[in-house]
Amino acid sequence: MANEEIKSKLKAFFMSDLGVDGDVLNYDTPLFGEEIGLDSVDSLEIISFVDDNFGVSMTGVAKENFQSIDTIAAFIEKNKA
Amino acid sequence: MTSNNRRCVVSGLGVICAVGNNVEETWKNALNSVSGIHKTTSLDTKNCYADLAAEVHCDTLDDIECPDEKDRASKLCIKAMKEALNDAGLGDFADSSRVSVIIGSCVGGVLSIEKYHRGGKDANEIPKMPIAAIASQVAESCHAGGIVTNVGNACAAGTISIALACDLIRAGRADVVIAGGSDSFASVPYSGFLSLHALDENGCSPFNHCNGITLGEGAGIVIVESLEHAEKRNAKRYCEVLGAGVTSDAHHITAPREDGICLLEAMNRAVKNSGIKKSDIGYLNAHGTGTGKNDNAEINAFLKFFGEENPTLSVSSTKVMTGHCLGAAGAIEAVFSIKALTTNTVLPTLHYSAEDSVALKEKVGQMDYVQNTPRSKELECVMSNNVAFGGTNASIVFSKNPGDVQSLVAKDKKIAVTGIGIVSPIGNSKEAYLESVKSGKLPETASICSTVTNDDYKELGIKMAFYRKLDNLGQLQTVSGMRALKDANFTVTEDNAKQIGIIVGTSEGGLGATYDFQELITEEGNAGGSAFKFPHTVYNAAGGYLSILSGIKGYGVTITTGPLSGLDSIGYSMNVIHDGQEDAMMATGTDENIPIITELCQKLNVAADKVVEPYSDSNGFVVGDGSVSVILETEDYAKARGAKVYCYALGYGNGRKNVKFGHISGSGEALDMAINDALKNAGVSIDEIDAVCGFANGFKTLDDIERAAYARVFGDKLASLPLFQVKERVGEGRAASATLAAAEAALMLSGELAEENAYFIANGGVSKKKVATSGFKKILVTSFATGGSYSAVILGK
Repeated sequence: MANEEIKSKLKAFFMSDLGVDGDVLNYDTPLFGEEIGLDSVDSLEIISFVDDNFGVSMTGVAKENFQSIDTIAAFIEKNKA
Repeated sequence: MTSNNRRCVVSGLGVICAVGNNVEETWKNALNSVSGIHKTTSLDTKNCYADLAAEVHCDTLDDIECPDEKDRASKLCIKAMKEALNDAGLGDFADSSRVSVIIGSCVGGVLSIEKYHRGGKDANEIPKMPIAAIASQVAESCHAGGIVTNVGNACAAGTISIALACDLIRAGRADVVIAGGSDSFASVPYSGFLSLHALDENGCSPFNHCNGITLGEGAGIVIVESLEHAEKRNAKRYCEVLGAGVTSDAHHITAPREDGICLLEAMNRAVKNSGIKKSDIGYLNAHGTGTGKNDNAEINAFLKFFGEENPTLSVSSTKVMTGHCLGAAGAIEAVFSIKALTTNTVLPTLHYSAEDSVALKEKVGQMDYVQNTPRSKELECVMSNNVAFGGTNASIVFSKNPGDVQSLVAKDKKIAVTGIGIVSPIGNSKEAYLESVKSGKLPETASICSTVTNDDYKELGIKMAFYRKLDNLGQLQTVSGMRALKDANFTVTEDNAKQIGIIVGTSEGGLGATYDFQELITEEGNAGGSAFKFPHTVYNAAGGYLSILSGIKGYGVTITTGPLSGLDSIGYSMNVIHDGQEDAMMATGTDENIPIITELCQKLNVAADKVVEPYSDSNGFVVGDGSVSVILETEDYAKARGAKVYCYALGYGNGRKNVKFGHISGSGEALDMAINDALKNAGVSIDEIDAVCGFANGFKTLDDIERAAYARVFGDKLASLPLFQVKERVGEGRAASATLAAAEAALMLSGELAEENAYFIANGGVSKKKVATSGFKKILVTSFATGGSYSAVILGK
């Protein structure tokens, strides 16, 4: 799966499942910043989505990997089988 | 000392939980440090990381009338109720208006929702789904004919029910209250807590390993009785119920505040309202769920609150025995607390090793966290605490002595209506609603709903980081609540955040969200729940979101008893203000119409297939929704902050004649009782009522009850009495319509709604014409609930 496809899948997930407004969500937008405001409950959803859709476990992974769509996609890319 | 007419005593106890099917068995097992936590046998645990639960094993739950019509939550509750009544030496109440029922629950009839979804959508399951069924069916089982209320504050609901029971008795509205809580173990909460990673795979270990909770199930009932009533019948008296404290965190929908300051405030209120010293409390039954967040917040709050004055307080969590029984937790733990008090025994938290004890000591210092085995200790007062999703904190005190209970300290204060927020299918603000009324807007289809848009958020300054989390019900609630605050020009600040509270009334609350969650896990399995969606299943999530957004940290209760909850929110708010708990209250009514709600109405054959209007003798109604919030405050408080006054809340009343939950036929005379009760409470005569804002929706069965009661109560005057019916425009919006009817009355009294369609009933027929409202001085507002309860509120200039 191309990196771009992973990112677009992630963005669609943030919009449909976590209620994020697509207009303000770029690939480098900080997810846990003031504007998007993700919290620990949302990170559980991200972990579950990434596991189900890309077969990559993000359980216990360092915080910086969750910073943006870019960093999550990079982690997936690096760790997928 | 508490005056005798304000004293509330406990005269009976009933319980069913994983460690016993009655009080005797449960207490014996608690003294023997027995845990009821085992591998679950009732649910699918495939791919689930935790499979423990504390389940009830009882083969006599169906030994009641019409078991097929009751969810397991009602059956558990009725079993505990029967034990408690028997213990109290009470039996059938023959519809006495002096006997009330208040039951708390978190997930209510969730097993019936699952059965409906998995089992071919059998309409017979529908009336068993809402929390509202529980108290109604308890009342029906023993013919309690007083106020019937369900509390929907998730895991704090059981404690709040007992606190409300005392409020009713002290306000002179009941002699006996059957109070408690009930919940059953089911896929939705199991999957939900799994998705939050909040279950401990090894079984909960409160204040110790703190890796998560273990779910339980059960019911607890406490018979609360006025001293006078108990003395008169020479009743058994376990103890007194003193004061309680209820607050809101205004912090997070699932997590408690780390600093525990709002829990501390709840304890502070409980002690203050009891008129005791902190050092009078010998044992504290903590919430102690076993999650790190909860337990650490509690440890901090206990140290801060009791530290200096009561440094060796005994504390424990009994959840290692019973599991976390959600809405039943507070009630079951009240039974434990009362037994502890009356037998001078402090109960332990189980499963501490020697190393664990050392680690705990480091965290809690000299405070006495009782471990592994119970101990004798002379006790005067005990406290029981529970906290909940939505940020609710509740604390209550049981005592051997009467204390010096502070209640009704502000009972002579006039209560002003100072703000209105409306979200409806015909407009999302008071202004938009009034515009739609003027232009004669009517429903276009038989199923209509309110739509909150980004424009609403923008106007109210609500950020995406917040609103993205809201489900539909939360959207309706937060927008109407914030609009009401804005309309009242009420700015919540650090200084006044604790002086204002919220009571949300809702008929179905999180039922729709629960159904959606069930749909998800039916497809994905119990391991596939959503941590994002799970919080919306609790009925008080909407009120919790409003507290977080507005910063309101005072009283916060969600009541869920059917449509009339939207009027009871006003009645209970008046009580809170008269009790001196808060200076101001937001009373709201909120219900949603998402596709499953219309589906359920259609399955029950109560949804009209085309647009119908009130008194049209139809066989159904237009399904609607909305959220309406009203700010109430003492006249002094309103004046001091220069608020405009719409009108005054003069009084409220209730009536009940038991019929089966889900039905209303045969209960009509209870509406007369509610109206007369409200008149009496307001000190107003029937002749002074200038108009009625009623609850007719077009469904003949309901409308006939309403008009027949008005004919009896108003007599000849009815022919010239204008009746206003908001449901002609917004459909049957349940609790939202009930509060909307009150809001319309306020708008007419203030002059903002100068002209409105009125129905007149004369010579058996109904006519309709526009009338001017400027001459109205007092307006009666009414509502109903299935099961036979009615409420009335009187507003006046």
